[in-house]
Amino acid sequence: MTEPVIEIERLEEMANQIADFFSPYPEERAVEGIRNHLRNYWDPRMREALRDHDNAGGAGLHPRVRLAVARLREDADLRAYAGPPRGAA
Amino acid sequence: MPNPLKPESSAITTCAYCGVGCGFKAETRDGRIVRMTPWKEGKANHGHACVKGRFAYDYYLAPDRATTPMIRRSIADEWQPVDWDTAFAHAASELTRIQTEHGRGSIGGVSSSRCTNEEIFLVQKLVRCAMRNNNVDNCSRICHSPTQFGLSATLGAGAASQHFDSVLQSDAILVVGANPTEGHPVFGSMMKRRIREGARLLVIDPRRTETVDSPHCRATVHLGLRPGTNVAVLNSVSHVIVREGLVNRAFVDARTETDEFDVWADHVADDRYGPDVIGPHAGLDPDEIRRLARIYASGPNSTIYYGLGVTEHSQGSTGVMCLGNLAMACGMIGREGVGVNPLRGQGNVQGGSCLGSWPHMFTGYRFVTDPVVRGEFEAEWGIELDPEPGLRLPNMFDAAVTGAFRGMYIQGEDPVQSDPNHHHVVRALEAMDCVIVHDLFLTETAKYAHVFLPGSSSLEKDGTFTNAERRVSRVRKIVEPVAGLADWQITMRLMQALGYDCHYEHPSEILDEIARTSPAYRGMSFDLIDRVGSVQWPCDENAPEGTEVLHTERFPRGRGNFMLTEYVPTRERTTDEHPLLLTTGRILSQYNVGTQTRRTANTVWYPEDVLEITRDDAETRGIKDGDWVGIASRFGSTRLRAKISERVNPGIVYTTFHYAQTMVNKVTSDLSDWATNCPEYKVTAVEVLRVAAEPAAATEASGVPAGAAGA
Ligand code: SF4
Repeated sequence: MTEPVIEIERLEEMANQIADFFSPYPEERAVEGIRNHLRNYWDPRMREALRDHDNAGGAGLHPRVRLAVARLREDADLRAYAGPPRGAA
Repeated sequence: MPNPLKPESSAITTCAYCGVGCGFKAETRDGRIVRMTPWKEGKANHGHACVKGRFAYDYYLAPDRATTPMIRRSIADEWQPVDWDTAFAHAASELTRIQTEHGRGSIGGVSSSRCTNEEIFLVQKLVRCAMRNNNVDNCSRICHSPTQFGLSATLGAGAASQHFDSVLQSDAILVVGANPTEGHPVFGSMMKRRIREGARLLVIDPRRTETVDSPHCRATVHLGLRPGTNVAVLNSVSHVIVREGLVNRAFVDARTETDEFDVWADHVADDRYGPDVIGPHAGLDPDEIRRLARIYASGPNSTIYYGLGVTEHSQGSTGVMCLGNLAMACGMIGREGVGVNPLRGQGNVQGGSCLGSWPHMFTGYRFVTDPVVRGEFEAEWGIELDPEPGLRLPNMFDAAVTGAFRGMYIQGEDPVQSDPNHHHVVRALEAMDCVIVHDLFLTETAKYAHVFLPGSSSLEKDGTFTNAERRVSRVRKIVEPVAGLADWQITMRLMQALGYDCHYEHPSEILDEIARTSPAYRGMSFDLIDRVGSVQWPCDENAPEGTEVLHTERFPRGRGNFMLTEYVPTRERTTDEHPLLLTTGRILSQYNVGTQTRRTANTVWYPEDVLEITRDDAETRGIKDGDWVGIASRFGSTRLRAKISERVNPGIVYTTFHYAQTMVNKVTSDLSDWATNCPEYKVTAVEVLRVAAEPAAATEASGVPAGAAGA
């Protein structure tokens, strides 16, 4: 585990804010939305620090952030995308 | 003897002070500007202009204008003047050393909306091609980044839907968190003219601004909401529209994703967004929320203009989405007289947004993570590009504090003065090994720099600006660059010193490259702009001379998308210790943090930042009009003079941030928008106390906090 690129409290707050935005969406869409946001907007070192924090128990992380982190597969489809996923509501 | 004021030559150029982008005729004699006259054919201003554009041009001759490149080993050392080659070589060797020691992602750059489209484009090219990462951002991060995010998500294009003249066909004008009569004067006058002709004005703003109430402008409805409640109030407006059956169902069916609309309608129609619930929470009369909703929905043409009062919040992007949703639900988009329009602060903020100066996006709002798009740029630039998003400006500072980010090229920005949470920014800059400031003056940020590159003002170079209505106009060189090089040349030389081979003879070649790589600019060229005066993007085979109104037949994303916009109150709350809410803004005669206007005679109109406070709040604290007061938050403190004001509500204080002495951002919070990290300048819990006298100049100049609340 490397030193986080940004203090973990700050990353945790940013990630939880994203989860708050997606709170009115059904779980599946919300988790996908959080994952996509992290994947398209966060520097890989920030994602890595968040993943390390999650692996260490994820204290303070919104449960949906933890689900999204688990889904941060780096090889996922990366076509441009700025909102919650289409389809299944 | 010849008349000393008689001009010898003249050229048409564009004002850089605000997002209106007025056209001017600049007249010179003996290589000096003698007069600026508003250009009659200018399509943004039709021969009008304001005091800033007409009179605040003499900053380019200010005595403290920096004209020599300088370097130093440590920020404790004196500056050492050097020639350009030495400065570039030193900067490049430092940046290369940092990358060798700390990795490719340990450096980055930021571009300025003071600069031209071509110069902004070059900064992102420098970062992507010469630094080989995506750590590039632009100053719209701290003002309008939520616009791009929120409008892209709903409509598919992060820009104003209308041209300015469209307002002359509006019947209801909704202004949210903006003060166009002060902030965008030439557009403000056009709006006032329409109001005199009978259009109704609806304003949502915590402050009774000059737009709400002044001799030629009075709002039909003013929702003077509590700072931080925009999303709640806009949801409540939508609630009324859905519950009272005011939705334009024909438009929704024809133009939007109807499934998403249904989910959204259920969301806002919930009892928790009823005016009787939200009104008391936001400090508003519920009937006024209803009245505003009915007038907006009934049009026939209703339009929205909004500003930093929407974007600079922890829910900034959500607030912008609310506006996109509202316009679609009422069918108020896609023709003259309607639309959703950000009012941009600085001259070229729209350019900053379009030209790919983002850590996650190339020009044309296309993601760096998209392999197809990246391939196009790799082919154009002949180099493999980093496939991962980079650090945003606030994240660069965050990462500097941990030691992961150590070198930075700052073009025309002054983050020490303009970015939130001053102490954090200073700590970050102090931790870096190489800070390169490229600016007109030795700014506050330059105090923490190791390399200084003297820049050129918009009067000293050729290029283009994109104004708030997507209009691309020419900036023309009126006088020679004071320091010898135009900004685009400086960035190009730095790129070359870093080992990336690229060369331009003239900025028109850079615009040609932008046109090749950005769909919305495809048909742009200096020739076209010279021929037709100015061109609004999109400009392509379908619209060879540009486009006035967007979204007429379809949205760039196809069908419009309704986003769910849950109200999440900001974490910033008043407490016993900090019982007042501070909100910030800007005024007419000054330009943003005032780097330029403060150096002109325009300071006569507005000599300092003042704190507006109600009579009651002042009296309970023993404060009289004109007293020096200390203002303190949990982040820091500063001092300024109090002004008793009827324009703010009880419990609210208001100030501008134009002057380095005041440094309002010592006080503002570190919270930011959930999607973009745009700082929450608009809501900070504070206490205000009377202090004895003016702060000692020496203490302030050294940047030591004044400990204002101690008195
Ligand atoms: S500051 Fe804005 S309104 Fe004033 S002249 Fe310049 S562009 Fe026009």
